[in-house]
Amino acid sequence: MRITCPHCGARDAQEFTYLGAADPQRPDGMAATEAAMVDYVYLRDNPAGPHRELWYHGAGCHAWLVVTRDTRTHAIASVEPAKARKAGAAA
Amino acid sequence: MAETATPSRWLPRRPWEGVLADGHFGKADETGVTVQTREALGIATLITGEDSHAALDAAMYEHFRLSLPRTPMAVRSGSRQAVWSGPGQWLLVADSREGFRGDLAKLAGLAAVSDQSDGRAVLSLSGPRVRDLLAKGAMLDLHPAAFPVGTAASTSIAYLGVTLWRSADSPEGPVFEIMVARSMAGSFWSWLSASAAEFGYAVTSRRASSADRG
Repeated sequence: MRITCPHCGARDAQEFTYLGAADPQRPDGMAATEAAMVDYVYLRDNPAGPHRELWYHGAGCHAWLVVTRDTRTHAIASVEPAKARKAGAAA
Repeated sequence: MAETATPSRWLPRRPWEGVLADGHFGKADETGVTVQTREALGIATLITGEDSHAALDAAMYEHFRLSLPRTPMAVRSGSRQAVWSGPGQWLLVADSREGFRGDLAKLAGLAAVSDQSDGRAVLSLSGPRVRDLLAKGAMLDLHPAAFPVGTAASTSIAYLGVTLWRSADSPEGPVFEIMVARSMAGSFWSWLSASAAEFGYAVTSRRASSADRG
């Protein structure tokens, strides 16, 4: 599998480290209910199809990326810097 | 039995010293790859916020006439090069350590500047089979159409992190500069020497004068 890093170009997946689903956002710790924290820490969807996930380009530009990958085919629909996602979440 | 006391002496040591030797190796009568060590370079990492490097840009141009690249490129002006290594991250590479500390002092406060002169080891690779050699390790398209002069890349070769860039062609063809962490120089050389053997390769280490040892 090759991932097209928005900074470095197409690279082998070996250069990257996988973290997991990109969308869960950490609830505000002290205010969150126990159920919300359990959901954030432990519970993940396991989709057969498109999945937004975090990858770290450790052997290249050291950027975190959000990769939208089809879990059935490994076809990658988009790769964007995770920074953009974080900025979007805060807005 | 008493052991002989080991004399305690700290001596400067070049990064490739004890790792490689000068000469011709591998396939006899052919020199597919030419390896030249790059000695006594001044090397520093420059790191800023991804979107807050205007002051660094201006200072790099004012002092060194270097325009920091925004994409994976290496640019040269006189005896200095700027090599992109990530968003808001560059390497400053000077051909000599003379005055290098002064260079870095000019960038104080504009970026996180870290002198890596003794932390990296650099080789210059050329020769008619240099792309065949790199193709055995680097998962990159190094075809001249995809990797023209000035292109840079951070990647891994044999699981070792490397930064490589293509400098100006020599009369014999393309020249790739390749930088590894100094502590990994021996491991990198074991990959390179084994991979280049089938093409035949020549090694030259340019001796640094003691003044360059910084």
